[in-house]
Amino acid sequence: MTAIASTSPALEPTAPPGSRARRVWRSVRVPAAVITALVVISVLLSLGAERFPTGHLEPGSVSPDGTRALVNVLEQDRDVHVTRSSTAAENAVERAGGDTVLVVLLDHRMLPEELDALAALDVDTVLVQPSTRSLEAFAPGVEMTGRESPERFLDMERPVSPECDLSAARASGPADMSGELYTASPEVEAVGCYPGGDGDALVQVLEEDTTITILGTGTPLTNTALDVAGNAALALNLMAAEDVVWLRPDPPQQEGGAGIWELLPGGLRWSLLPLVVTLGLLALWRGRRMGALVPESLPVVVRASETTEGRAGLYRSRKARDRAAAALRTGFLERTTPKLGLGADPAPEAVVTAVAERTGDDPRHLRSLLHPERPDPYAGDDDTLVRLSEELDELTRRLR
Amino acid sequence: MVVTGRAVLLALAGTVAVALSGLIGAEVTAIVLGVLAALLVVDVTLAASPGAMRLSREGDTSLRLGDAATVHVIVANPTRRNLRGSVRDAWPPSSHAAPRARPLRVAAGERQRVRTTLTPTRRGDARAAGVTVRSIGPLGLAGRQRTLSAPWTVRVLPPFHSRRHLPGKLSRLRELEGQHTAMVRGQGSEFDSLRDYVPGDDVRSIDWRATARGDGVMVRTWRPERDRRILIVLDTGRTSAGRVGDTPRLDHAMDAALLLAALAGRAGDRVDFMAYDRRTRAQVRSSGRGSQVNRIVEAMAPLEAELVESDPAGLVGTILSTQGRVRKLVVLLTDLNAAALEEGLLPRLPSLTSRHLLLVAAVRDPEVDRMAAERGGTDALYRAAAAERTLSERRRVTTELRRMGVEVVDADPEHIAPALADAYINLKAQGRL
Repeated sequence: MTAIASTSPALEPTAPPGSRARRVWRSVRVPAAVITALVVISVLLSLGAERFPTGHLEPGSVSPDGTRALVNVLEQDRDVHVTRSSTAAENAVERAGGDTVLVVLLDHRMLPEELDALAALDVDTVLVQPSTRSLEAFAPGVEMTGRESPERFLDMERPVSPECDLSAARASGPADMSGELYTASPEVEAVGCYPGGDGDALVQVLEEDTTITILGTGTPLTNTALDVAGNAALALNLMAAEDVVWLRPDPPQQEGGAGIWELLPGGLRWSLLPLVVTLGLLALWRGRRMGALVPESLPVVVRASETTEGRAGLYRSRKARDRAAAALRTGFLERTTPKLGLGADPAPEAVVTAVAERTGDDPRHLRSLLHPERPDPYAGDDDTLVRLSEELDELTRRLR
Repeated sequence: MVVTGRAVLLALAGTVAVALSGLIGAEVTAIVLGVLAALLVVDVTLAASPGAMRLSREGDTSLRLGDAATVHVIVANPTRRNLRGSVRDAWPPSSHAAPRARPLRVAAGERQRVRTTLTPTRRGDARAAGVTVRSIGPLGLAGRQRTLSAPWTVRVLPPFHSRRHLPGKLSRLRELEGQHTAMVRGQGSEFDSLRDYVPGDDVRSIDWRATARGDGVMVRTWRPERDRRILIVLDTGRTSAGRVGDTPRLDHAMDAALLLAALAGRAGDRVDFMAYDRRTRAQVRSSGRGSQVNRIVEAMAPLEAELVESDPAGLVGTILSTQGRVRKLVVLLTDLNAAALEEGLLPRLPSLTSRHLLLVAAVRDPEVDRMAAERGGTDALYRAAAAERTLSERRRVTTELRRMGVEVVDADPEHIAPALADAYINLKAQGRL
């Protein structure tokens, strides 16, 4: 296609000039316009865009598995502190005062010591899908005893009913509570709700004056499930306090790993020092001069013909044909008149007559050649200047 | 403080030892660096002190440009340690000193001769810049170095290429004096003596009055004037800096001046020399008869073209005031530069020519002649026109000078020296000196 398109104007000798450019423009303008429009639209769209963090149960995330919606709802009538590490959460709890709920998500990211420290805070706590170690720290005596099937977990149409005495759960009604199931040992004072096969999806342990609530899943808290059944009500009921401290720890940073430097043998590491010394000695050995450089003032060297060449350049740049013609004529006359037996500074007419006698040329032509009237017929353009030099050379040859 | 390649190798070996040492790296590093430093310090301390060396020089003091000179440095070692190391005799780059540096061993209490060959490419005085002595300790690891002063100057004289024209010009001169092997009458204008006629003498030279007084036929003999004075003036102003071919005008002028000085010295004339731009750069006054060439060559050697406009008024004044009132031939070697001459020299010529005979000699640039013959295309014509203009100005100045009674020699670099010699011989033949 392109080949045909590009060769066709060459086959049409009658095509007006510029048609090729116009044809190229015609073929290019639609794609160019589309690309331009796309770029403009995407730029405009991106101008107003806000970048949200992403992640499972992330309080800032607007994706289906985020919890931004719940956090926004909570913020309407209580203080929500989103924290990213256990120490920050401890500080937030201590600052918040008595009526506080600590919500702990993804607690497998925390170290056992951190979990113990959080458990020792003595505050109402909601654990979402806790790890075994976390269960031991917060609610000793509660164990994970089963897990709902994934089919059941994804089935949003049929929420599970609380079937327990816990007011928060009963008031909310059926909720998407499934996932891990827990059973509390008889010694522990605990309430289990949303029962599944081998346990309950919500267990609330009552300690002296605090409650530890364990949720088997975070699904009711997510953006996508919040408006389904009693999910929102359950979440709000569980977090009924003046301050809610939301702890979603960041993944622990890798630290203290051995670098390539520590993996090197000690000898190699130490050898850098003598190596530097060796390089220094090498530089000294090669770089030390035998005495200083000897200065010498150099004479100015310029070609004697420089001024003449400069003048030639001026003639050329200003196209000074009249000057050039005059100089060529003067040179010819000064060389020729002594040979003609004429004295110094002969009259123009005498020169013309003498040359005409010698060569038999037309005196009128010689006059215009040697002593022209103004305007000089030979200074008109480059061709006449060349002709002048040729005629002068020819005359020189014949007068020899 | 200098170190040798051996010290670097030792340090490298130490580095390898540390690298292989493993867990005891720190200790081995300390040992290696300590030993290395100790060895270097010991070597520097035990090296013979280069500053204690006694230097003296001998060798050539002058040479003609294009020849080679040999200069020796004698290094005497008065210390009680042997000197082992190297030495460099430094000269300016244009002197092309060789070798650059060479190894040196001087036993305690002995002396060593260091030879340096100079092949200068510039005329003038070449001054030794210093002798650097490097002394390495007994271990060959490190040492000391010191640059000592050992002043020496080698004067690089003008090459005097035109010497080859001297025999030919001298034979013309002898012809003039009538001493030529062919028995022709001397063409001089000064009466020499009367002698008896011998067959073969020109009958025109018979002195009839003396013949009438005596027995035999007497002839007068003539000889060219002798003991005339010639002043060669070298213009060292900006126009002499221009390079014609590969050599500045000044050097061409020097060549011509030397031939003239040699010739005039043989002809029995007294030659003075002066170099001038805005002040006198060099001066040689003749002391009696005999050749002044060597003294003039010495005076010329350090001359360089100065980038100033020459001062013709000062020049004329200097000639008139310092050179006495005796009539002489003043040979001015300059450039026929219309602007410089017309503004400066021409108005002041009468005061000079009224007392002396002036000869202006100039080097003509063959490049300009070549440009004037350029043809083919407009650019070539513009070049030709510019060259014609230069030549025309030169002709105008020449005409002007001749009109004022000045002799002018205008020749390209190849012919300037013989042309100037010929002009001198002609003047002598005409008895115009």
